[in-house]
Amino acid sequence: MQVKTMNLLCHSRKVLSSVLRSSVLLKPTEAFGSICSISKARCISLSVPQHFTANLTSCQHSHHTASFTGHFDIKRCYSESEESRNSESNGVIEDDSHELDDNSSENSSLSRRSLETFSLDVLVSLLRQENAVDLCVIKVPEQIKYAEYFIVVSGVSPRHLRAMALYAIKVYKFLKKDEDPNVKIEGKDAEDWMCIDFGNMVVHFMLPETREVYELEKLWTLRSYDEQLKSIPTETLPEDFIFDVEVTK
Amino acid sequence: MALPWLSRSLSGLLMETASLNCQRNFSVSAVAAAIQKMTRVRVVDNSSLGNTPYHRPPRVIHVYTKNGVGKVGDRVLLAIKGQKKKALIVGHKMPGERMAPRFDSNNVVLIEDNGNPTGTRIKVPVPTHLRKLEGDYSKVLAIANSFV
Repeated sequence: MQVKTMNLLCHSRKVLSSVLRSSVLLKPTEAFGSICSISKARCISLSVPQHFTANLTSCQHSHHTASFTGHFDIKRCYSESEESRNSESNGVIEDDSHELDDNSSENSSLSRRSLETFSLDVLVSLLRQENAVDLCVIKVPEQIKYAEYFIVVSGVSPRHLRAMALYAIKVYKFLKKDEDPNVKIEGKDAEDWMCIDFGNMVVHFMLPETREVYELEKLWTLRSYDEQLKSIPTETLPEDFIFDVEVTK
Repeated sequence: MALPWLSRSLSGLLMETASLNCQRNFSVSAVAAAIQKMTRVRVVDNSSLGNTPYHRPPRVIHVYTKNGVGKVGDRVLLAIKGQKKKALIVGHKMPGERMAPRFDSNNVVLIEDNGNPTGTRIKVPVPTHLRKLEGDYSKVLAIANSFV
């Protein structure tokens, strides 16, 4: 089952990177399945059989050598597309129940302090190690100058969220160089939603109920096409609204 | 949603043709101050408290800074619909830094006491320099749709 998953991912990675560059738009509903159904649907809908056989052998080699790093190469392959409208296909929505958990390489990374930086790989691996529920990493398109990666994690209880946040801060402090700014936990007194902003990544720790209310993944993948945004009624200006008023200061 | 009170505040000017504003013969200058007590503000998120019409516009009754002046990123206490609610300033009419955006209305996002936003989406552009300020702004930036 695990081997099949990785093979499907390898297939879809090569096909997708070629297709995304030619800017194929994928339906937004596809973005919210699990990894298996995403890759299957894309493989079937794209239907490029000659790519599969060529990639099969190379994928199996790459799977055996470095499955941990290969797994995150897929995320980076998805992010090669420039179109911002493809952001829902760029979003790698992972359900923990379907994923492999490679802890061995992540433990050794902590000891090599000078060589490792606190990157997305390190963060995702430590969140997996902490039994994070419903980890979701979204690659933010370049036009939105906020961060590069937007991560939403759920936890079992408020105490679990706090523990994950504190552990992430601890690992960051261990791995950071001296010129990197210190990072603080925002929302420490709110027990259902905490955030940490690491420069290029933003992590949100929420309880599942809070996650349902805000639906941040939907907003950040479908930027303007989000349903909650569309249901906000458009405002009308009053008739005597003066448009270009001079500001005397 | 709170713009009718804006029009009432500018009602001292005579507008002959309401639809063609460019034909006026006098210059119009606006109030451009930061946010302090008793300023009327515009709630820009999609919370029900901010969007249901009320006969009085939401007013600031306290600014949580050392001086009573509220700039972008400051918390204020609003009186909305007869109840008190905390809010975060996300834009004001007063010009600030040169390369920072200035807004045509004093925008505010409703917030709970623990810092969680009351609404779930913000349609109005939100300044990106909120990120560099000291304070808990990631939650408001996470529900914002467009950045300025």
